[in-house]
Amino acid sequence: MSETILELKHISKRFPGVIANNDISLEIQRGEIFAFLGENGAGKSTLASIIFGMYSPDAGEIILRGQAVQINSPARAVELDIGMVHQHFKLVSNYSVTENIILGREPIKRLLGIIPAIDYKKARAQVQELIDRYDFDLSADDLIEDLNVSSQQRVEILKMLYRDAEILIFDEPTAMLTPQEIDSLLAIIRRLREAGKTIILITHKLEEIKLVADRCAIMSRGHLIDVYDVQTTSTQLMANRMVGRQLSFQLDKAPAHFGPAVLELKELSVIDAFKVKRLDKASFTVHAGEVFALAGVAGNGQIQLADALAGLVQHSGQIILNGQDISQASVRKRIQSGLAYIPEDRHGVGLFLDFDVTENLISKQYYRPPFAHWAFLQKKTSQRYAELLIVRYDVRCAQGPATIVRSMSGGNQQKLIIARELDTHADLVIFVQPTRGLDIGATLSIRQRIIDERNSGKAVLLISLELEEVLTVADNIAVIFNGNLTKVTPAAEISLAELGEYMMGVRQ
Amino acid sequence: MNQASSETKSRSTNWLLRILRYPRTQNLVIAILAVLMALVAISLVIVIIGKNPLTVFVSLLRGSGWLPKPRYASGRSMLTDFLGLLDALTPMIFAAIAVAIAFKAGLFNIGISGQMLTGGFLATVLIGYSQLDAVLAKPLVLLVGALSGAMLALFVGWLKANFNIHEVVSTIMLNYVVQYIVSFFIKGYFIEPVSRQSHTVSVASRLTLVNVQIGAVETRIPLCFLLAVGLAGVFYLILARTRLGYEIRAVGSNRQAAEYSGISSRRTIMLTMALSGAAAGLAGVTYYLGYYNSIMPGDLSSVGFDSIAVALLASANPLACVLSAMLITSLSYGSNYMSSVADVSEYIASLLIGIVLLFSACSGFLKYLVNRNNLAVDQSDDREEPGSTPATGGD
Amino acid sequence: MLNQVIIDGLAFALPLLVIAIGGIFSEHSGVTNLALEGLLGFGAFSGGLCFTILVQFIPFDSAVAFYVSFIAAALGGATFSLIHALLCIRLQANQVISGVVINIAAMALTGFLTAQLNQSFFSGSSNKFFLSTAPRYTLDLLSGLPILGGLVTNVYPFEIIALLLVVICWFLLYRTRFGLHLRACGDNPQSVDAAGLSVARIRLVAVMISGGLAGVGGICFAYSISTNVSPAIYFGAGFLAIAALIFGNWQIIPTLGACLIFGLARAASFQLVLLLEMDSSIFDLAMIVPYVLVLVLLVFFSKNNRAPKALGQVYDKGQS
Repeated sequence: MSETILELKHISKRFPGVIANNDISLEIQRGEIFAFLGENGAGKSTLASIIFGMYSPDAGEIILRGQAVQINSPARAVELDIGMVHQHFKLVSNYSVTENIILGREPIKRLLGIIPAIDYKKARAQVQELIDRYDFDLSADDLIEDLNVSSQQRVEILKMLYRDAEILIFDEPTAMLTPQEIDSLLAIIRRLREAGKTIILITHKLEEIKLVADRCAIMSRGHLIDVYDVQTTSTQLMANRMVGRQLSFQLDKAPAHFGPAVLELKELSVIDAFKVKRLDKASFTVHAGEVFALAGVAGNGQIQLADALAGLVQHSGQIILNGQDISQASVRKRIQSGLAYIPEDRHGVGLFLDFDVTENLISKQYYRPPFAHWAFLQKKTSQRYAELLIVRYDVRCAQGPATIVRSMSGGNQQKLIIARELDTHADLVIFVQPTRGLDIGATLSIRQRIIDERNSGKAVLLISLELEEVLTVADNIAVIFNGNLTKVTPAAEISLAELGEYMMGVRQ
Repeated sequence: MNQASSETKSRSTNWLLRILRYPRTQNLVIAILAVLMALVAISLVIVIIGKNPLTVFVSLLRGSGWLPKPRYASGRSMLTDFLGLLDALTPMIFAAIAVAIAFKAGLFNIGISGQMLTGGFLATVLIGYSQLDAVLAKPLVLLVGALSGAMLALFVGWLKANFNIHEVVSTIMLNYVVQYIVSFFIKGYFIEPVSRQSHTVSVASRLTLVNVQIGAVETRIPLCFLLAVGLAGVFYLILARTRLGYEIRAVGSNRQAAEYSGISSRRTIMLTMALSGAAAGLAGVTYYLGYYNSIMPGDLSSVGFDSIAVALLASANPLACVLSAMLITSLSYGSNYMSSVADVSEYIASLLIGIVLLFSACSGFLKYLVNRNNLAVDQSDDREEPGSTPATGGD
Repeated sequence: MLNQVIIDGLAFALPLLVIAIGGIFSEHSGVTNLALEGLLGFGAFSGGLCFTILVQFIPFDSAVAFYVSFIAAALGGATFSLIHALLCIRLQANQVISGVVINIAAMALTGFLTAQLNQSFFSGSSNKFFLSTAPRYTLDLLSGLPILGGLVTNVYPFEIIALLLVVICWFLLYRTRFGLHLRACGDNPQSVDAAGLSVARIRLVAVMISGGLAGVGGICFAYSISTNVSPAIYFGAGFLAIAALIFGNWQIIPTLGACLIFGLARAASFQLVLLLEMDSSIFDLAMIVPYVLVLVLLVFFSKNNRAPKALGQVYDKGQS
């Protein structure tokens, strides 16, 4: 290998209650693709954040191009030619591609020789030149809010290139992308390496590492397990080192026994507040004992579909639940007629973060006996109920039913929502992105829970961006693209690649 | 994991921090702290203008009936002052719980003074100028006040629920509209030429009994004081113990999550505003047909604005509102005596209220500082954050 | 008659616009600013104080005092806005609460200080600072023309100042680095942070600009409406300005339109009362026209406009 560009020596970082990085030392070579692999909570994002100056380490040293450096802010990192694409893009939604890229480094012209103003013409030309050089499919004048996720990601990459970054950090770059988009991103990453850049790739997906990385550091619970040469190490070995134990990737999934139709959609359409059609005449049926999955790239109308079912947005068309037309019913009426909904946005929609566990668990039933008697809440009953569910669904909360939900971990917050929804004994359960952001253990347990629901005769509608989840859990799959259902098929009869093509609208 | 660190922490931290951390009394302690800091700040101001802070504070307390004055006019005593304070306190309690209950639903009702004026004006015109007996008139005054205040606030809630108009803007606009309309009617039809105020209301309709002799002492009896305290209790119970209270807190905590749970946020917003407005209307009648007996045209009562301070200081807890209303009212009620005896401007009292408010606005930050090391750090879902306890795997 | 409506309307609309632009700066940077009312009051107080001091020293030429008082008002407003900045940016207080608290504190503080200073130094016992009557200029050449005439008749000098400020602010907000950074803060502060810029500093400057502009607007109203600075300065202009900027969708040019509508409606309803020779108590009813108009317009425009995305959210650097 060639020279070392970045060396970490004995880096440690602790946060209240957790050691995120424990004495980590490693070297990264110029011009390689170096991966950080690990589960959620392994400390890989923290380590990357330290390199990018977002956190300062409690102990240890960073040596960049042979010199010890203090990187105490992202600004300093950028000065040192380090760039980072964050998992949540840091883009201004109502700005153009050009304005986003030049933000903080605007070319200036002098009006009347003195007044400094932004030289938009020059900026635009520079940005367009970069777009052309790396052959990104973008226009310098596009507004960010009009771009899809993968284009926005390219804007983030351009931001780094505009600042002449030499070390490029990618934090979980493929989490929101379709298989085809992942392929093109990985191709871009290879192209960047060819252009002489050094790349740090943070991921928990082994396949990607197999595809592009040269070397890979495996981390677990704050420790560096080891650094492996990707070419010569088997996937199974890396997977085992990553989770620290043998994992069964298999779900316990018995053959499906379909019962009667539980949910029937007839030409459901949603038009949003800006008069844009988000869902166009969707029709399908979900039976008892069936997991029906809706696959699609984010923003293609699946959230609108779920919200329309729950009665949260205006819609036209018919929704028939258990033979009853609920299209005009209120949210509460729909819940009462047997609809449970685990929403995508846990903090924004699913939970009252400042309420305690009890009050969150009764949020859909607080108004009726035994939780309320006339106008009055029955606190004791609710509390006993909460204690019961905490045990039954294994929700970990420090102060029991009185724990404020904000202080709980993401996985336990999700379990709380699932406990609340499943315990209403609804006939139809809608899961939207149920495992997003959770680690492998929690993910598997939730997927198993979905299958258990289906085995017990419930109808399940699963909306997920993760194809692997869709393929392993669902019995039938519908693909949604641009608000249209483009393909409905049994899960057994479609491959990952095909599914990806439908999701991108390549196939109709 | 963090036991070691918290142990060293608690050994090194002082008693104040430990008191501050105790969750049940935290809000109270922080409120007291805000008041104390404000007292220190205002003392500095008083020293700067060359007066003795202690004299000023003592004269404030004397003016508001908490301490005996050195001498009294004939037929007056400390009881006169204290009952007078309760008379001024009554509308303040109503107004403060009006702010508080709206705040719990995430609504900032700063239109209290407008709703007070509406209630007070309509009750004055409809009942106060009638020949009705006291038995009939007094309950009717309360009813008219509560209803008219509720209607005005309901309109604000309706604008918010249906047109997404921020209640701060709409209530302020309505404050001015009400103020000018009432002024128009009073100047045109109900003006007392000498006092330039509206005609006084009938004794039968007035909610304060004035010139009551207790022994040799002349006092006034605020008839609705207990009603105000009682209503504070009722509001507290509504919030903590009823379905409606749950809905109000749910909408205030997260409107989207409330909708998702099947709670109609529009209905809740309008109901809450109506409740808030009703309390404000009661504040209006106990002010304009109790503490006073006429209305000054073109003027909004300062009670409406001070009640915001009261509710903030009480962290929007209706029961705590009674205490903080007592404090704030004592300050403004005693300021008259203070300014004449200690020779400082009456504005000192309102300045003190302003500073108390500024400090209590920082209370959230203080709480955050104090609790920072106590709670597990909130972690977002999508990335490993500091403080994330690795989620369980074995189930 | 029509000319008078235009003259009075502009004299009201332009200061209002300056205040509203102050609001736009603050809100575009992501800081809700309900404190405008208090800021304009404190600005007017500072200007009034400055004027009162200056005329003691240079009694023969009140023009100097007149113009310097505007600078003092801007500085006063900007200084007082530091409290809002401190509460919202550093102490992470609820921005709505902070705004309301600052309004109350400003009323108390200006009332106290005016009375105290008058008593201690200017040997008066009133709660007012008296100002001189502002000069007014007329462009004789054009004043005879119908509508155009109203634009150039009896113009206050501060109307010119206001117009200049509007142009400068527009340029600052839409054409400079600072403006680009500022507007980015209101949409996605993380992006600004990631670009190596300090969100806190940008917001601090934005809030101070908003305080300064509110202060200038405040002293304009003090000169045009009452020629003194008294508690009557708190007549709701700050809230009218907020309504105007919401109505103007947080953009300067549409907000100009909104302010003109308010100003002209207000002037027109006055003139109507005069024209119809109605009783003076009708003035009270004429006064409600702009407020009612604001409410009605908001009903129609509140739903479709887009507030800056990050408005009102505390930005904590640690969280991403």
